[in-house]
Amino acid sequence: MKQMTCIVCPVGCHLSIDDNLKITGNRCPRGEKYGIDEMTHPKRMLTSTVRTIFSSHPRLSVKSNTALPKGLIFEAISVLDDIIIDKNVKIGDVIFSNIMNTGVDMIATANIQIDTNHGRSI
Amino acid sequence: MYDYIIIGAGIIGTTIARELSKYQVNILVLEKENDIANQQTTANSAIIHSGHDPKPGTLKARLCVRGNALYHTLEKELSIPLLKTGAFVVAHNPDEETLLHALEERAKINGVPETMILTGDKARQIEPNLTKHATMVLSLPTTMVTYPWEVAIAALENAIKNGAHFRKNSEVVKIQKNEDKFILTLKSGDTLETKHIISAAGIFSDEVAHMIEEHVSYQIQPRKGEYYVLDRKAVQLFSHVLYPLPTEKGKGVLIVPQVHGNILLGPTSTLVDTKEIASTTQVGMAQIKEDLKRLAETIPYELIIRSFAGVRASSSYDDFFIQESKEVKGFYHVAGIDSPGLTAAPAIAEYLVHEVIQIKNKPKEYFNPIRQKQKAFYSLSVDDRKRLIESDPRYGNIICKCEKITEAEIVSAIQGPTGVDTIKGIKKRARAGGGLCQGGYCESLVLKIIARETGKPLNSINYYAENTPILVQETKVKK
Amino acid sequence: MKTDIAIIGGGAAGLSAALSAYDQNLNILVIEREKTLGGILNQCIHNGFGLHVFKEELTGPEYASRFIQKFHEQNIQFKLHTTVLDIKKNQDFELSISSLESGMETIHAKAVILSSGCYERTRGSIQIPGERPKGIMPAGSAQRYLNMEGYLVGKRIFILGSGDIGLIMARRMTLEGAKVLGVAEIMPYSNGLTRNIVQCLDDFDIPLYLSHTVTDIRGKDVLEGITIQKVDETFKPIPGTEIQFEVDTLLLSIGLVPDISLFESLNIEKSAITKSAIVNQFYETNIEGLFVCGNALHVHDLVDWVTEESEKAGRCAKNYILHGASEHRMEVSVKPGKHIRYIVPQKIDFSRKDAPVELSFRTTKKMESGIFYVYQNGVLIKSKKAKYIAPAEMEHLLIKPEDFISNDPIELILEEVKS
Repeated sequence: MKQMTCIVCPVGCHLSIDDNLKITGNRCPRGEKYGIDEMTHPKRMLTSTVRTIFSSHPRLSVKSNTALPKGLIFEAISVLDDIIIDKNVKIGDVIFSNIMNTGVDMIATANIQIDTNHGRSI
Repeated sequence: MYDYIIIGAGIIGTTIARELSKYQVNILVLEKENDIANQQTTANSAIIHSGHDPKPGTLKARLCVRGNALYHTLEKELSIPLLKTGAFVVAHNPDEETLLHALEERAKINGVPETMILTGDKARQIEPNLTKHATMVLSLPTTMVTYPWEVAIAALENAIKNGAHFRKNSEVVKIQKNEDKFILTLKSGDTLETKHIISAAGIFSDEVAHMIEEHVSYQIQPRKGEYYVLDRKAVQLFSHVLYPLPTEKGKGVLIVPQVHGNILLGPTSTLVDTKEIASTTQVGMAQIKEDLKRLAETIPYELIIRSFAGVRASSSYDDFFIQESKEVKGFYHVAGIDSPGLTAAPAIAEYLVHEVIQIKNKPKEYFNPIRQKQKAFYSLSVDDRKRLIESDPRYGNIICKCEKITEAEIVSAIQGPTGVDTIKGIKKRARAGGGLCQGGYCESLVLKIIARETGKPLNSINYYAENTPILVQETKVKK
Repeated sequence: MKTDIAIIGGGAAGLSAALSAYDQNLNILVIEREKTLGGILNQCIHNGFGLHVFKEELTGPEYASRFIQKFHEQNIQFKLHTTVLDIKKNQDFELSISSLESGMETIHAKAVILSSGCYERTRGSIQIPGERPKGIMPAGSAQRYLNMEGYLVGKRIFILGSGDIGLIMARRMTLEGAKVLGVAEIMPYSNGLTRNIVQCLDDFDIPLYLSHTVTDIRGKDVLEGITIQKVDETFKPIPGTEIQFEVDTLLLSIGLVPDISLFESLNIEKSAITKSAIVNQFYETNIEGLFVCGNALHVHDLVDWVTEESEKAGRCAKNYILHGASEHRMEVSVKPGKHIRYIVPQKIDFSRKDAPVELSFRTTKKMESGIFYVYQNGVLIKSKKAKYIAPAEMEHLLIKPEDFISNDPIELILEEVKS
């Protein structure tokens, strides 16, 4: 019997998983899926920032549009080091697609609206 | 070649520099730290004592009383804050009352101009939060409180205005005497020449003296004092400086209203081995809480926003050690300056220049004693604030919202010969980051202003000393 | 300049309050000191926001943008990069404001909502002994430097306090290349969301030292090391349990305090527990027309609760302007009883009984299962079952007008249900 805490949402249900991967303790179906995933191929959402050329907004916050294999997180961060945002961006815009060939995209989670002629935020 | 090099830009070195700058002499002030007044001057109770406590006949007694009087002139000439709080020394029983009377006698002998004995009840009418166990107090109306750091910078700014020179990050590591001149070697390797040296090096006085004397007549016995600062919310609680009766260890743990509205509690007094480790301790806090019970019942310890410790340059010599070296002519000791050093500072400068050095150089024709300081935005009326903003819109940009410090004041603290480009240096000068949130909000804004004004990259801006950058590594840099 | 409702702070609370206060017949002005709206959400680039309000999990900036978008659509007036210096009350409220762009101005407002958030507790507030080198800072400051400016404040980190900010920063610093050597928590349990213990500490093998605190700081100019020690039931450090760490940074995640410094010049009734104003069910202080909501009223663990609370407060301010104040308030107390640490609102005004009363509160004890009971005149008027109760998680309970049996004080208690 393995114990773990579900991290899918802030409630943090206490899960118990038996040898047959049967989950108990979850308050919603996502918890069941999380428990199984965590035992077989753990995944994590990645939130981070990427560099921009804009002095008034030096970093753009980004997130993975779905969870990435846990083991690839540090490499994914490294890939983000090479990105430089040089134009306006809207929430949801894909900043880097198919990161590390996982099929997961990194998307913008903030808006950048700079009047690129004058460098001012509009 | 200088006429005088002053080692140490604390309150003593800077007031001496100012006094000397009245004469036609070439002066250089050397400071080993990255900013002036970083040791004792910045870690004491800020009290301008009346002079009731030092042993009669000592320099401490004489210069404390004289210094107290001189602060009124300094207030006008240097635009330093001076809170006329007065003080009570508190007695709780007949034995202590006897000691209190003896203390009053001593004050009178020392020349303290005003003293008064009050009953405990009368004292509590004036100071309602005074302990209910006080039976009698000695009132010392000439006691005041200042902002010591600002006195030092004001004195130095004025000295520089009148021709003195200043170098920071200039630790002296070697002194040689060559016929009628001294050669000082700095840590950087630079050498300087001067006819006279005045050593005002605080806790390092004996070490500096050892550089040139075979036998140094005193030894610094560093004493650490811990302090706790209550937020301005406590300002209504006490209006006087409150002292317990003094013991051989010193004046004791005090309650001291500060010029910015905070209340200072402390200091403790413990001998320490190392001069530079000024740490606060749980034992120290507990001691202060215990000792303060003798002064007041309700102290809002939950309003503590900050604590610090300072190391006093107490010495084995029983008084201020202000004299020319017996071994080396032209080398002047100004050592063992612990309490009442802050109070005595202007009088020490007078005494040194006129009675010890007995300066023969001609006074300057155009010595300007006035150092003007723009009054802080937060202290001005609405109309004055608006006028200031009209002159410079950056006075409208509030950076430190806890203390209402504006961009213009921060920029002004960066510029000039005594300007500084560190976070803590700005806090000392402009007070940004000195309030309730202790820079939690404004530090990043101040950092950006410093970077902009100095043209330095953001991650090179230091907290205080050299090589203390707040930002250690930039992220997302291509490898 | 005149307005009907002045809202101080354009973060989560201020934005929601402004949106719900909006009415065609009213002038609303939001005053924000940063150059953008959004408040602290702008630097909270991690997930976990909006689960209740939007049924989606969003990052801080995304959550903020939902409201900022609506805000711009409604055309609500706002001033950015502007600081409120003080508030006075005469006939109406006079706010003295200042900015680089426009200098000093006075705003006259009929009502004011204070949604100014909170500030982080600093080293001085818990008097950590030791030297005072560079390298000790609140976790939120490090978060701002990292997420907004793009800089690490250190390479070898220790974190004091297992609140969410500390846990989130443990992960963030690690992902960006720093080494986090541990997190110390003075309580015997963590203050933060359990999910954060997993995804911020366990995932990176960062040890959590419960019942420990920092007892020494070493380093003259830069931080060189710290000592942590185990504490006993009275939170006194136990000799002999010292552990030393060589670090260049100590991040403090030791609590948030409502920022109500603008109330200094007003005669506001305050609560010593929430460290903010005492309010009634309309989020109104003892001063008529002065409302408080969000973290400025009490520290929330989820922004969703800030939004719900501020929506109500905005509506209350709007009603105040449109319908006027009660002739005569009939306020009674809301008492926190067994296992309840504090309740907001602290008072109920029974002169207006039309709307339900929402109680937001925190417990003192962690328990798997419990029942909240509300008593009035010794009679049980409401109960609510709950699971996984913890002091770190705010609870809510709604009392409808018909539930009350009188205009007398009420008491809320929590009884544990043991399995």
